[in-house]
Amino acid sequence: MPTTLTPHTDIAGMYRPAGQLDIATALAPYKGPWNAKLAAHLLRRAGFGASTDDARRLSEMGLHDAVSSLVDFPSTSNLPAPGDLYDPRSTLMQYLPGAIGGRAAADDMQRRQIQQQVRRGEVQSVVALQRWWLNRMLGTPAPLQEKMALYFHGHFTSAAIQKGVSPQMVYDQNQLFRDNALGNLRELTWQVSIDPAMMIYLDNARSDPKHPNENYARELMELFTLGVDHYTENDVRESARAWTGWIYRPLLGQLQFIPARHDNGSKMFLGRTGNWGGRDIVDIIFEQPACASFFANSLLNFFVYNSPEPQLVQAVAKMISKYDYDLKPVMSTLLRSNVFYSDRAYRALVKSPVEFVIGTYKAFGLTQVDERAQNALRQMGQVLFYPPNVAGWPGGANWLTSQTVIARENFLASMVNSPMMTQVGWMSDVPTQATQAAKSLVNTILFGDASPQATAQLAEYLNGANTSALGMLSAENYPERIRGAAYLTMAMPAYQLN
Amino acid sequence: MKNMKRSGFLLGALSGITVVANADHVFARALAQTPLPGLPGGENRCLVLINLQGGNDGLNCVVPHGDAQYYQIRPTIGIARGDVLTINERIGFNPNMKSFKSLYDKGLVAIVQSVGYPNPDHSHFRSTEIWQTAAPDKYEHTGWLGRYLDEAGLPKDNLFNGVAIAQVLPEVMVANKTDVPAIAQVNGYGLLSDRNSSARSTFAELIGDNRLPFNSPYLSHVAEIEDHAQKGSQELPKLIAGYKPAGTYPATPLGRSLSLAAQIIGSNVGTRVLYVQHGSFDTHVGQKPTQDRLLGEFSDAVKAFYDDLSAHGNENRVLTMTFSEFGRRIAENASRGTDHGEASPLFLIGGGVKGGIYGTYPDLSDTNMGNLKFATDFRSVYATVLERWLGRPSEAILQGRFDTVAAIA
Repeated sequence: MPTTLTPHTDIAGMYRPAGQLDIATALAPYKGPWNAKLAAHLLRRAGFGASTDDARRLSEMGLHDAVSSLVDFPSTSNLPAPGDLYDPRSTLMQYLPGAIGGRAAADDMQRRQIQQQVRRGEVQSVVALQRWWLNRMLGTPAPLQEKMALYFHGHFTSAAIQKGVSPQMVYDQNQLFRDNALGNLRELTWQVSIDPAMMIYLDNARSDPKHPNENYARELMELFTLGVDHYTENDVRESARAWTGWIYRPLLGQLQFIPARHDNGSKMFLGRTGNWGGRDIVDIIFEQPACASFFANSLLNFFVYNSPEPQLVQAVAKMISKYDYDLKPVMSTLLRSNVFYSDRAYRALVKSPVEFVIGTYKAFGLTQVDERAQNALRQMGQVLFYPPNVAGWPGGANWLTSQTVIARENFLASMVNSPMMTQVGWMSDVPTQATQAAKSLVNTILFGDASPQATAQLAEYLNGANTSALGMLSAENYPERIRGAAYLTMAMPAYQLN
Repeated sequence: MKNMKRSGFLLGALSGITVVANADHVFARALAQTPLPGLPGGENRCLVLINLQGGNDGLNCVVPHGDAQYYQIRPTIGIARGDVLTINERIGFNPNMKSFKSLYDKGLVAIVQSVGYPNPDHSHFRSTEIWQTAAPDKYEHTGWLGRYLDEAGLPKDNLFNGVAIAQVLPEVMVANKTDVPAIAQVNGYGLLSDRNSSARSTFAELIGDNRLPFNSPYLSHVAEIEDHAQKGSQELPKLIAGYKPAGTYPATPLGRSLSLAAQIIGSNVGTRVLYVQHGSFDTHVGQKPTQDRLLGEFSDAVKAFYDDLSAHGNENRVLTMTFSEFGRRIAENASRGTDHGEASPLFLIGGGVKGGIYGTYPDLSDTNMGNLKFATDFRSVYATVLERWLGRPSEAILQGRFDTVAAIA
């Protein structure tokens, strides 16, 4: 069997953790010591980080119940829905002949103005949706549900606005990911396939039976389910035929399946011949052993560590097949496993910008994001609903360039200096004695993940080393020094790592 | 021609000295204009790579207006013969490329036709990766320019041997031993905390913490990037502050990127390779307005770039090369767009180029399942750039021996 390809985060295995994998016990339940530090690790991976209170709460539950609280998450239907979303039809209808209150068809100049109006309305709505989602990540009682939605957003990539993907479609797709957070992967893949945002983004909504568009047919196999080397160019062409028949009706805002536009001929796909439609294509793909391996590899890369060993991928693939692609038992096992709590997995991932930003609000006990969050995410290279291309965000070492690291540090500098910091009372919890203050910062922000030397350097900073002003930490300079020290604690290497 | 190159070099060297005098920094060695080992003529040469992302449709870029089949197979999106900017009786540029045509007419542009590679891959991701790693047959984690940077013997303490003008480091610049900064824009390229000297020095110490109570495969990477971010951002704005662009660049993302490229090149900070990107050319639906706009932006930005370089005497120091992950299907689809294809032309631009048409004209009747067959392997073009422009042996970098193209003297 061909080897499973690692996603492009790390092609040569450069970022696989050092040391040996114990494959025999890797997926067995972890029975070692359980504490706030490991609870914080769990919350960083299965959620968006932890305040010290969050970590303490989960550590008191014990490992099994802590994971249960994440996978058997409470209903989130009472969380606030996004505000009204702009509907491009509200603009377009005014200009259509025959529409109620409609004016005659526009000339070129007018058409351009209409387009601008639509674009403005859509951008405003998508920006509001981003803010809504970030606040949901920060405040939800079901962090794993949002984490899975983020995972799927990067996996089954569609982008807003391009090609006529409206804000409502963006929201509907986001909600689809949330509703299927720990559901069945086969079912989700089918639902995503007929999701309007996806159908428009990857062109199935305009595929003509005489010239089938191959975009979705290809990406479905390459990026969503199998990976390259597990299908032929002919499979792509045959699958594209099976997906014909769908069309998007902009004025209805709906997808329709028109049987007359569907290619009803016989198709030979992955070795199976029949008059296949889209659902058959998904089902045949999920019969391939490569499909379980592909998701195993992808989940391990997102939740455990990069470049997982082929044996580990195969073990998780076996489990995925055993549970017939149901994610809940798979994720429960992974989040309770030895490999997940091993030294090799600890801080073994690079924080994505979203993890970095939301984790920072969480660390300070803030309950709402402000405008800083979206500005920072743009500069760090992760704009929600605008992935760079159909392969999603490359992740791993790719998150860290000179430019994005500067954006990360400057976001922190701006956060510690914001008035919000005093409002939440976070600073008053930091001791006034420099050595104790440094220890406290390292413990609350990094869960102890700094060397004694670094902690001592932080204390020196608090004491005013390298400054010409009066040395010792005092009531007058306390707030300013604590803000600076909190920033410097977050500048330490551990804070970039998940 | 020879004299022009000399004077270009001298001007570049002079402005470099000005920067040294002004900057008072640790990178003076990189600015000493040390000729590269084996570089022809010893000039301070640069390569600028423009990635036309998404798969640029070669047939509507360099239009085969002399081929009746082109009009049969592209009934709605074909470009009318009268609109084409004629190069000869067979081909011409897209009508939106007037500025670029003026560079061609001055002999500054080589068109290499039908470039591709064997067993072409139709995925954006994989084909982009193939072009960037120059490894069609295996998964290689370094880029071809990354490997060049690793082996070219450039000053190790210079942080700007390669610069990517992008938010995310492109694979082509990924190296084993060289960290290439990805700089989207100079404005915003700096740490706020560096304004406080105490925070600045403590930051520098803390990011190097190497006695951590845990291990992570990313630790050395994090430490290195943080260090480079701090040092590089302190230095770069000072190093390039003296450069004033000549003329006006179009207010487009590519215009801004090339303006920054000219500034970095003209400031002589030792940069040998630069990367910029433009797109997206992924025109499955309604191709014409999108591609026309993108080609117009490309054409105007490149013209402004060479005008600026030329005004500073740098046009003969700088070779620009375009690439795109693939061309597109010959036949248009039912959505007035085109699907992923195979071979397409690329451009080499600059004073060191022997302007004209190279490679084999595309043959619309002899296709690979509806896609243009390639005639020149892209690695031949890379070999040409490495050997004839950057003065490096190409075999190790390209992991194979490839003939060069005559487009560079």
